[in-house]
Amino acid sequence: MATEKVQVVVVGGGATGTGILRDLAMRGISALLVEQGDLAHGTSSRFHGLLHSGGRYAVKDQEAAKECLEENMILRRIASDCVEPTGGLFAALPEDDPAYAEKWVKACAESGIKTEELNIKELLKKYPVLSPRITKAYSTPDAAVDGFRLLWSNVNSARRYGAKMVTYHKLSAVYRANGAITGVELTNTLNGEITSVECQMVINAAGAWAGEVAAMAGLEIHMIKDKGTLLAFNHRLTNQVVNRLRPPGDADIFVPHGTITLLGTTSIAVEDPNSTKPSEIEVENMLNIGRETMPNIDNYRIIRAFAGVRPLYQANKGAGGRAVTRNFALIDHEQKDGLKGLVSIVGGKFTTYRLMAEKTVDLAAKKLGNNTPCRTAEEPLTQPVTSEMLERGKKVFGVPGYKKAAERLGDAYGKVVEKAEQDPSMRRMFCECELVSASEIDYVAKDGDSKTLSDIRRKTRMGMGTCQGIFCSYRTLGALGNNPQFTVGHREFITEFLQNRWRGIRPVLWGQQLRETQLSTGIFCSLFGMERMNDE
Amino acid sequence: MMNKKTDVLVIGAGLSGMMAAARAAQSGKKVTLLTKGMGTLSLTSGCIDLWGYEVDNPKQPCGSPFAQIQKVVEQNPSHPYAKVYDVLKESLTFFQGICDKDGLTYRDNGGENWLLPTAVGTLRPTYLAPTSMAVKDLNKVKQIVVAGFDELKDFYPEVLVTNLKKSKLLRPDCELTVAHLKSGWKKLYATSLAHRLEQPEGQREVIRQLKPLIKPGAIVLFPPALGERRDIDVAGLISKGLGCPVYEVTNLPPALPGQRLQDLFLKYLKNQGVTVILSSTVTGAQVAGNRCSHVTAEGAGKTFTISAQTYILATGSFVGGGFDSKPGQIEETIFGLPINTGDGKWASGEFLSLKGHPFNRFGIDVNDRLQPVDGQSKVILENVLVTGANLAGSEFSIEKCGNGVALASGFKAGKLAGEVSR
Amino acid sequence: MTQKHDKHLILDNCIKCSICVANCPVVKVTDKYAGPKQNGPDLERFRLDEPRAVHPSIEYCSNCKTCDVVCPSGVNVSAMNCKAKGEYVALHGAPIRDQVLGRVELICKAAQIAPALVNWAANVKPFRAIGEATFGVAADMPFPRFASRTFLQQYKPKKINNPKGKVLYYPGCYVNYYTPQVGLALAEVFAHNGIEMVVDSFNCCGLPTVSNGLTEVAKGYARNNVAKLNSYIEKGYKIITTCPSCNLTLRQEYHELFDMDTVRINNETYDAFEYLLMLHEAGKLDTRLKALPQRFGYHQPCHLRSVGFGIPSLEILRLIPQLEVHNLEAGCCGLSGSYGFKKEKYPISQEIGQNVVQAIQEAGVTQNITECGMCQLQINHLSGLPIHHPIQLLAEAYGLPSYLPK
Ligand SMILES: Cc1cc2nc3c(=O)[nH]c(=O)nc-3n(C[C@H](O)[C@H](O)[C@H](O)COP(=O)(O)OP(=O)(O)OC[C@H]3O[C@@H](n4cnc5c(N)ncnc54)[C@H](O)[C@@H]3O)c2cc1C
Ligand SMILES: Cc1cc2nc3c(=O)[nH]c(=O)nc-3n(C[C@H](O)[C@H](O)[C@H](O)COP(=O)(O)OP(=O)(O)OC[C@H]3O[C@@H](n4cnc5c(N)ncnc54)[C@H](O)[C@@H]3O)c2cc1C
Ligand code: SF4
Ligand code: SF4
Repeated sequence: MATEKVQVVVVGGGATGTGILRDLAMRGISALLVEQGDLAHGTSSRFHGLLHSGGRYAVKDQEAAKECLEENMILRRIASDCVEPTGGLFAALPEDDPAYAEKWVKACAESGIKTEELNIKELLKKYPVLSPRITKAYSTPDAAVDGFRLLWSNVNSARRYGAKMVTYHKLSAVYRANGAITGVELTNTLNGEITSVECQMVINAAGAWAGEVAAMAGLEIHMIKDKGTLLAFNHRLTNQVVNRLRPPGDADIFVPHGTITLLGTTSIAVEDPNSTKPSEIEVENMLNIGRETMPNIDNYRIIRAFAGVRPLYQANKGAGGRAVTRNFALIDHEQKDGLKGLVSIVGGKFTTYRLMAEKTVDLAAKKLGNNTPCRTAEEPLTQPVTSEMLERGKKVFGVPGYKKAAERLGDAYGKVVEKAEQDPSMRRMFCECELVSASEIDYVAKDGDSKTLSDIRRKTRMGMGTCQGIFCSYRTLGALGNNPQFTVGHREFITEFLQNRWRGIRPVLWGQQLRETQLSTGIFCSLFGMERMNDE
Repeated sequence: MMNKKTDVLVIGAGLSGMMAAARAAQSGKKVTLLTKGMGTLSLTSGCIDLWGYEVDNPKQPCGSPFAQIQKVVEQNPSHPYAKVYDVLKESLTFFQGICDKDGLTYRDNGGENWLLPTAVGTLRPTYLAPTSMAVKDLNKVKQIVVAGFDELKDFYPEVLVTNLKKSKLLRPDCELTVAHLKSGWKKLYATSLAHRLEQPEGQREVIRQLKPLIKPGAIVLFPPALGERRDIDVAGLISKGLGCPVYEVTNLPPALPGQRLQDLFLKYLKNQGVTVILSSTVTGAQVAGNRCSHVTAEGAGKTFTISAQTYILATGSFVGGGFDSKPGQIEETIFGLPINTGDGKWASGEFLSLKGHPFNRFGIDVNDRLQPVDGQSKVILENVLVTGANLAGSEFSIEKCGNGVALASGFKAGKLAGEVSR
Repeated sequence: MTQKHDKHLILDNCIKCSICVANCPVVKVTDKYAGPKQNGPDLERFRLDEPRAVHPSIEYCSNCKTCDVVCPSGVNVSAMNCKAKGEYVALHGAPIRDQVLGRVELICKAAQIAPALVNWAANVKPFRAIGEATFGVAADMPFPRFASRTFLQQYKPKKINNPKGKVLYYPGCYVNYYTPQVGLALAEVFAHNGIEMVVDSFNCCGLPTVSNGLTEVAKGYARNNVAKLNSYIEKGYKIITTCPSCNLTLRQEYHELFDMDTVRINNETYDAFEYLLMLHEAGKLDTRLKALPQRFGYHQPCHLRSVGFGIPSLEILRLIPQLEVHNLEAGCCGLSGSYGFKKEKYPISQEIGQNVVQAIQEAGVTQNITECGMCQLQINHLSGLPIHHPIQLLAEAYGLPSYLPK
């Protein structure tokens, strides 16, 4: 049983945890982040990807709105390659209360959110998919954010400052002595191996699992776990985020992301933070609501559905769902429960993760006697890819493959381009739907953090497009023949990958997606007989 | 609007439609085959699967598929094989006859299934295979050389070898060798590789690179791209050059064996005087009582109608385009025939499992004459015959029977249409 | 025909089966082309956000439309490619050669000043070598020969009493400038069957311009043609073509590429044989045809195939006693308009065409027919055998002037 030593163990590889890791590292505090699955295993990859302008909260909670706006502007600056500055659109239908729109315009102005009324006719011409019944529409500075990329950028930046991060390690016990944290026990979730780490402090950033982590230290945190389902459409329905101009409700936001559009979301209280199975009834309800803004929504292809669990903090038990505050809570367990060395950060939004991290690390640093100020709002997460590198990329990957790869790879782009320059076979697009090259897949497979095909998928987007991985999964497996972790158990790799995809496809199994699925049963069963592979 | 007249109208150019047209033409009927696109044939292995595993032990590959099909027919009268069992053998002979004449011989394995290697190293049971795929006596082979091309992104010899090695069918001392060939092209698709291998220099290159690896008693496995043209026997030529048998394995589409079969059939049909209309979609039908009087077809050009004595519905399942679906709703797009969806469950929880998926079984119920029937077994349209993947009750991907059902039912429909008097 | 309004819906239909890739004649013979699926529906998803998402290999698409024909999902791959090519050219510009080759109408008009001289110069070896080196025009691909007088100059409408129908003939550039005999034979056949045929001057249909990415030029042609055609349709004329590419362009491409409403034109436009077939189905075609004891190979032009109407000429020619027409069934001939004239594409084009050569040899025919002028040129170049338009055989069988070489 190996033992390591750090000042702080951060639990949870979501936006909050990775933000904290970076902040700690930049202040010179030694830290290890542990994540039970792959990075973004939790809510930070199962969300809408909307970088709020604050518009959605302006009427109800101006403080939250201002926080969003401020963080929105910071992230555009420090993480420009993770943010797609699409702009937003708030549209009202005849059935929406006009008084709300008035209140909203005023509240936005008060919160500093710039809005502008749009000409409906022009808007409809630009996006024929929108309902001709729209009565009023305003633009806002909303944006789309790539959660997954942002998390990795945080980790890469933190690693440059000396921090450590392990995925597929679950915090399984907390050691305490004399009313203080002394260390933690970790369990490798792939092979069950147990290790321990000595530390002075544990920061619980486990999102919807925060209650479980607190329980390991014998404490209680009340979380409301609120499941939300999202639908991914096969293409960009609009180039702007579309919101409904009315008090926030279910299924009323469309967010364009790269090649797709996400529609969401619902709100259902759940017990288990692992409840990420979207139900058919949720899908149906969402389409019913989405149809109001986009009447022909049923004709558009949905490629998958997925769900995440909002970690809502409940200071006083009772209120549920959307009415609970989105503001976060920083819990100092020394003060609250008398346990030294444990801090929990819960609730909040993706948009405000950096601020949450800043506040958390301010507290942690104080306790550790470190008074270095926070710099995460100033220092960019990644160096932008140079235009020279982009040009070189264009030569090997073409348009728009070179740009998509640069967005995904950030700092690693140069290496991937160089490899493709040296070896032309590395230029081939393995994932033709999302334009992921052999070179990129090879690089990611070898980065040390990728253990399954799904890990590669999340990092590269291979298998996330229209065909949902039918072709690229086999190619990827083939190309990884010389990587030791991928040489055994082809059936397991493919099965895990396909089953993961299937969870998302099954609730939207109709139309073209059903055709696609029949094609993939043809390929994997009829052609390859994988349902019986190695059975003899 | 123009109206075209024909005796038999076949809708769909999959294997079932082409078989139907071929058989109906043999009866001297005026046959028109109209299709929106190509069928699933070119996505398949190019082999004719009849039945893969033992009915009572679905993990055990079966010997003779006929014995199993007989069981299926007895146990499950709603399986498509129950409707076409009478013509099964006859249809296979007819099919082999057509292929043979054009030099694309389809072989059976003496009444037993073949077990043929795939690109992932599994062995797939199938009944008829083209010569280029029919690996003989795999259990006696001393060396298997798997030849991949570095520029082809759809074939990886290592994957094949890793898994094939585990097969108990091989001799324990069988040696598996990976060969990475270079084509000299920047990138290859199955069709461009096939084209290269049709050229003598392409063959020479392959032989030169492979020869040093070949030991006595070896066979070589290639991706399914040994030429497209049927007048050049690429497999034979390379085999001669290497002095050992070479074969194609099953792989992802695009793959040539299915493509060759499709080209062969289309050409055959045209030579038999069948009018083939491509790129046109049948969008609806005019029905009077329990007969169809004409159908409407739409191309990129204009809409026209076609009237026939007999209409053969060979539009396939979801992939082929015969069925369309919305949440909770499935329709057959031309005649609006009822679709049997069993207990209403569409899919299984596990993506890969021996159960397969209900949606693959969805289809139209028919009687012994392939006429569509309703829940009370009453004929809905007496001059419409249903074939292939349109039929309810089989799970092609798990049972391994897709092309078998298509072939036999297409044949039977063509035969029945040929018997209709003018 | 229904014309769909949200084009993005079609994008969703693609299930990535690669049937289009398996059938694309260009993919088969070169490694320079990324294929129909990647250039079409795959990249189209990216173009919603980034209109410049065009693979440079797009110029290798020959616009043969095989992909559209084989796709089981109704995806209009080739239209996506044409539009992408337009984007690419708008961004990067087109070489002078493509600008010239695309503007067939202009070349033809200019050549009309002295067709004989142009014909001579066009096939003089040293000139062609210079053309290849300087402009990239393949020296080995023969240019078609200009006729000494255009079809429009030669055609004299005949007065027909109580016509069974009245049609406007749209000859297209090829017939007008290079093979007026086709139009003249058609005129004979129509007059013989009591059909009144008028002509007018039109712009080029625009297909060569589209294929070279000169979208704006094509759009101008389209606007003029649509207006003029509609005015004839209003007067009760059917529109007749003998060139399958013109036919397809008028019927489908204006709508697909430029969002024009062409439902009416589509309904009223006919390939000449389609029209004759309609007469025949209605019992109005004279079927007293004399025997032609000859064998011909028939090549189906790609653009005729993609109209989705089968092969009406073969159905009519079947009425001619003792005439044996063997369908070569060999796929694309490879020339694809100006494509095969480009130096870098000439080898591709010739390679694709080998299928036709092989089919001709297999069938053992010594003369061929096909509707498309460009296909005629290529097949003659590849095989050295004579080739005609099927309407000429029909005229011959009626005993009318067929303008076939004697
Ligand atoms: C449907 C939906 C849509 C949303 N949309 C938006 C939006 O558009 N914009 C926005 O700003 N916010 C949005 N949110 C909210 C936002 O996604 C979350 O607030 C945010 O992602 C939470 O991040 P986190 O790091 O706190 O939690 P998580 O991302 O869940 O991270 C916690 C991590 O801890 C790990 N973990 C748990 N227990 C252990 C353990 N014992 N050992 C090791 N690791 C452990 C988990 O695996 C998990 O990865 C949305 C939420 C939902 C559900
Ligand atoms: C990926 C894959 C691999 C397979 N591999 C094998 C294998 O190796 N061996 C095996 O035995 N089976 C295999 N199968 C199963 C087999 O392909 C099918 O069961 C069988 O070929 C079905 O043939 P079909 O003629 O009934 O339908 P299809 O092949 O689906 O043909 C339908 C035809 O109808 C046309 N059409 C549809 N709607 C219209 C309309 N409205 N108007 C005009 N035309 C229309 C389509 O364009 C198409 O040409 C495989 C299936 C798939 C999907
Ligand atoms: S465009 Fe059509 S043929 Fe090509 S991959 Fe898509 S669905 Fe298949
Ligand atoms: S139009 Fe022809 S050349 Fe172009 S992609 Fe389609 S099949 Fe290939």
